Amino acid sequence: MIKEYYRPETIEEALELLARETPLTRPMAGGTELNSPSNDQFDVVDLQSLGLDKIELKGSNIKIGAMATLQDLLSVSDLPSALSEAIHHEATYNLRQSATAAGTLVSATGRSAFATALLALDAQLVMMPNEEKLALGELLPLRSELLKGKLITEILIPGNVKLAYQYVSRSPADLPIVCVAVAAWSSGRTRIVLGGYGTAPIMVVDGKDENDVLSAVGHAYMQAEDEWASAEYRVEIAKTLTKRCLYLVK
Amino acid sequence: MKINLSINGINKEFKTSPGDSLLKTLRSEGYFGVKHGCETGECGACTILLDGKLVNGCLTSAAQANGKSIETIEAVGEHPEQGWKSTDGLHPIQQSFVESGAIQCGFCTPGMVLVAKELLARNPDPTEEEVRDVLSGVLCRCTGYVKPVQAILHAAAVLRGEAQPGEMISGEIWSQLFTAPETDIPSDGDAPTAVRVLPKVVIVPETEKWKTVGKSEPKLDAVKLVQGKPAFTADIEKRDMLYAKVLYSPVAHANITEIDASKARALEGVAAVLTHKDIPRVVYSTAGQSDPIPGPLDMFSLDNKVRYVGDRVAFVAAETAEIAEQALKLIEVEYEELPAIIDLGDALDNEIKIHDEPEFVDFADSDASRNLAAEIRIDIGDVEAGFAEADHIFEGEYEVPKVQQAHIEPHVVVTYWDEDDRMVIRTSTQVPFHARRILAPVLGLPIKRIRVVKPRIGGGFGNKQEVLIEDVAGHLTIATGRPVLFEYTREEEFTASRARHPMRIKLKTGVKNDGTITANAMYALSNTGAYGCHALTVTGNTGHKAMAMYVGDGKYREKPNIQFNADIVYTNTMPAGAYRGYGVPQGYWPVERQMERIAHKLGLDPIEFRLKNALREGELQPFSTAWSEGREPSPETIETNGLEECVRQGKAAIGWDQKYSDENWQIVPDKPWLRKGVGVAMVMQGTAIPYLDMGGASIKMNDDGSFNVLVGATDLGTGSDTVLGQMAAEVLGVPLEDMLVYSSDTDFTPFDVGAYASSTTYISGAAVVKAAQQVAERIMVRAAMILNDKGEGLEVEPGEILLADRKATSLDGRSVSFNEIGHHSLHHSNQEQIMGIGSYVSPVAPPPFGAQFAEVTVDIETGAITVDKLVMAVDSGIIVNPVTASGQIEGGMVQALGYAVSEEMVYNEKGELREKDLRDYHIFHSHEMPEMETIFVETFEPSHPFGVKAVAEIPMDGVAPAVANAIMHASGADLSEIPATPERVWRALNIISLGNE
Repeated sequence: MIKEYYRPETIEEALELLARETPLTRPMAGGTELNSPSNDQFDVVDLQSLGLDKIELKGSNIKIGAMATLQDLLSVSDLPSALSEAIHHEATYNLRQSATAAGTLVSATGRSAFATALLALDAQLVMMPNEEKLALGELLPLRSELLKGKLITEILIPGNVKLAYQYVSRSPADLPIVCVAVAAWSSGRTRIVLGGYGTAPIMVVDGKDENDVLSAVGHAYMQAEDEWASAEYRVEIAKTLTKRCLYLVK
Repeated sequence: MKINLSINGINKEFKTSPGDSLLKTLRSEGYFGVKHGCETGECGACTILLDGKLVNGCLTSAAQANGKSIETIEAVGEHPEQGWKSTDGLHPIQQSFVESGAIQCGFCTPGMVLVAKELLARNPDPTEEEVRDVLSGVLCRCTGYVKPVQAILHAAAVLRGEAQPGEMISGEIWSQLFTAPETDIPSDGDAPTAVRVLPKVVIVPETEKWKTVGKSEPKLDAVKLVQGKPAFTADIEKRDMLYAKVLYSPVAHANITEIDASKARALEGVAAVLTHKDIPRVVYSTAGQSDPIPGPLDMFSLDNKVRYVGDRVAFVAAETAEIAEQALKLIEVEYEELPAIIDLGDALDNEIKIHDEPEFVDFADSDASRNLAAEIRIDIGDVEAGFAEADHIFEGEYEVPKVQQAHIEPHVVVTYWDEDDRMVIRTSTQVPFHARRILAPVLGLPIKRIRVVKPRIGGGFGNKQEVLIEDVAGHLTIATGRPVLFEYTREEEFTASRARHPMRIKLKTGVKNDGTITANAMYALSNTGAYGCHALTVTGNTGHKAMAMYVGDGKYREKPNIQFNADIVYTNTMPAGAYRGYGVPQGYWPVERQMERIAHKLGLDPIEFRLKNALREGELQPFSTAWSEGREPSPETIETNGLEECVRQGKAAIGWDQKYSDENWQIVPDKPWLRKGVGVAMVMQGTAIPYLDMGGASIKMNDDGSFNVLVGATDLGTGSDTVLGQMAAEVLGVPLEDMLVYSSDTDFTPFDVGAYASSTTYISGAAVVKAAQQVAERIMVRAAMILNDKGEGLEVEPGEILLADRKATSLDGRSVSFNEIGHHSLHHSNQEQIMGIGSYVSPVAPPPFGAQFAEVTVDIETGAITVDKLVMAVDSGIIVNPVTASGQIEGGMVQALGYAVSEEMVYNEKGELREKDLRDYHIFHSHEMPEMETIFVETFEPSHPFGVKAVAEIPMDGVAPAVANAIMHASGADLSEIPATPERVWRALNIISLGNE
């Protein structure tokens, strides 16, 4: 439950509030996560007045303000269609109006379509203070530690990369049981990311070597058993979806 | 903290807590059009426009909105006629929703209207796909989205100046949709927007002379619902109202050895804390059924034992919901944990006893010492003899899951003492009269000191046939003397309400080489959970309807061999209860899967095989000779059965003949891993419970010739007020707009059992017709009196008067208007109140019949399925209102689709539930829907004045097996269990490939 609400006008003010040891203070983006019922008590720093919602095309990259909403992202021209699909899969229209790019990544579980796609694109985060750069893949497993006192201001994704996103779920708009995103650079670099399980999507392959890709994928989900699916199923389906994604990015 | 909001153009300063949501803030300011359906942004009932953007009020804090402008439904449109003041009327979007049947319960309607407004403001000509995407954030459990989507497309056309208001359900297009029997109905693949909301109807001649019955009249409550008027239970303000919360058990089975509420009581703002030590121990059942309850009495408002995770431990009332929540944490409870039974297979004769309380009251064959809530043994004919005569015996084991009704308005109740010190219970219920009777002993009040008021209901689907939470608020009002509001959260709906009974079913069928069924025997092991509400009757219905469908052919048709046995067992899980379909969908899963398997194995056409053995007109409903919900059975003959025509129409609509035998059609070009298939299931339901379900109605005439129709029947969003009004209007010769229909209030309206068992149009409708006929007689007498007093022609006999067009007309053409009759009767001469009362109970329960078809695409590598199309052709007798009736079919098919593919409640070994919100419990959204088509095949049921049968429950019955049969057609995967999750289908596919190796 939210105890105090702050809406700073500058990043410095925001950082000052977020740097406090106590009370527990969290940055609030769209609020779709922090306004959900919770037993925790914390203060929030609402980032809406910091001007962090711009999206710019920077060379071949897309620079996404941390506070840009998922719906804002959909309006980017030439957005890879697979990313658009993943965003649609991530949230319904109402939620896309509030949920932000950074907030969605920070609160993502393994079943997040958006995080799976952005991890495949090797998204880079810019964090304040010090404009520190961090890869999404480094952040996801260590979110609570790495984000302490920090503020994500930008997310950078490459625009000239082919992306494929495939998933299996009980119905078209249901959360994925298994999903795979594959990004392919013209240099031959390929990143394969698995989602649908656990606390965060995982990157399985990043490189140019196409040998043993499928066994790496299978190996990554050997233990991926939970109340939604068996590991045996996830292993097989992750391989199948990976094959389809690789075909699509060729 | 202080914030400024501009709400609907008016700037206001508010004091708010940093954690307060906009939903809470706006509702506390009286913006009741913003609805509470969940707390986590999935349902969209609280949709508002914030600086022009659609957001969920529950997930936006008031503080975040500081300085912004908000638009709620209250700012959109208004009633066109407000006395001397002229207004612009409803917004074209609202008008379109009203006309198109897009509104059922109306709880999600304000959100949908705002969605449409946002979309059309930036995109005046959206595609259907765009509409569905924008609507994806608003869940609807009633309509199946067909009509809301069409309403928005039509509103767009009106706003563009390309269509006229009112075109949706009137004019030429309307009459083209009716076809005479024996005429093939053309496909409407390219039909214009304006007609998509209307179903096809194969008509019977009787309907042609009617003016109102058979017409798609807009729902009577649509205008208020589309404006988000405060029509629902929680939409009231009472001075000093307290907020209730309940402490629930965290363990599946335990004795409460110690409970100390002193710290909670000491918390500032807490008005009362009640534990089992504080209130009388009265054994009862929450099942909202007639007296005597056909099941065990095994529950207490609060007990010293808990029997599932989510069972009640204590009640709190406080000045705010937050304080009440805080107080719950201060109640100290010591549990002596007991071993628990979670799986239904472990329940019978286990040494763990779930019900060992001395107050337990048995009904018929319950046996608490065996964990048996009810037992059913029904033998029709001699199945053993039938099996001996069979050439083939087929045996199968099947399993169906526990699923949730998931109505968007949660359970909610407000209780208060009125000025006569009578307890008023304003509640979202399907059974106001049963609630009054059941609550009286629980609260220690005589029935006459309780008044139950049912306002508009935001969906119920059976879960509000339970007297589930009224006692909580009632006890707290007694304890405090103050009004109490108790409203479930979405999590409470999943963990502490009711659900569909999960079952494990064995089916054994004997068949001759020519496809004649010689005997059919089912055993159902049914899980009632921790309490036995509806245990006997739900599972009884599983056999009563599903096992009655296929009687066999030839001599077996005359004397079928059918057995239905069931054990309904207690487990330490949330109780099951009533859910639309009431046991029947559970029965059709095994029956229709087994029919398909038999047809495949014997090389028979699956449709011909079914029709060869199906129950026909003129035959006895076999179970009517053997069982009637624990009461004396009475044989019933099937008078009407449109099944064969339903099959013919449904086959045409799905394209069966083109697809079923065409292997090329099954292949998807460029996607070798996909296969397409079609499947069928044939179903029947019942219409009310014979000799038991009773409805009452009273009608009085007003000065201006309008009529008040008071019914106990409980419109829970289905449109029953409207169809009851249509029947009364038809009898009285007036348009529907002259009918003021009110339901239900135990002080004002006659008794009615309530909205369940597909009974309202049939039972309450017959009661309304009887009352209307009495009124009509008095009008004729009065009209003859007036005409004869005028002395302008021959003497007129009342029996010669015709009522039509708001006039009473004699054979020689002289007429008196109803306005004149109203004034004359109340003011001018021989004054009387023209009124009538009627009640009806039926000796029969004529079954509706239907054929359901599904088209699916299966990914044979992953097991993922996509349902592409659902068709239902249904004989529900005469259709009083095609638009509302087809809304029932569409909404029912979508709930059934969830049962088929995505909905399931799964417990771990500790009895904790996997699904606690609408993210994990996935019900279908607007943007993932298959195409749906409804066809009505009318028959005239002779036991009803307008020839109606039921429509509400039957669409639930056959979707799951039709989908699974289509999966088998597509891929060979042969499922025994639903939902057809990708992994289940994949495993079934693996079995085939193993078999092939």
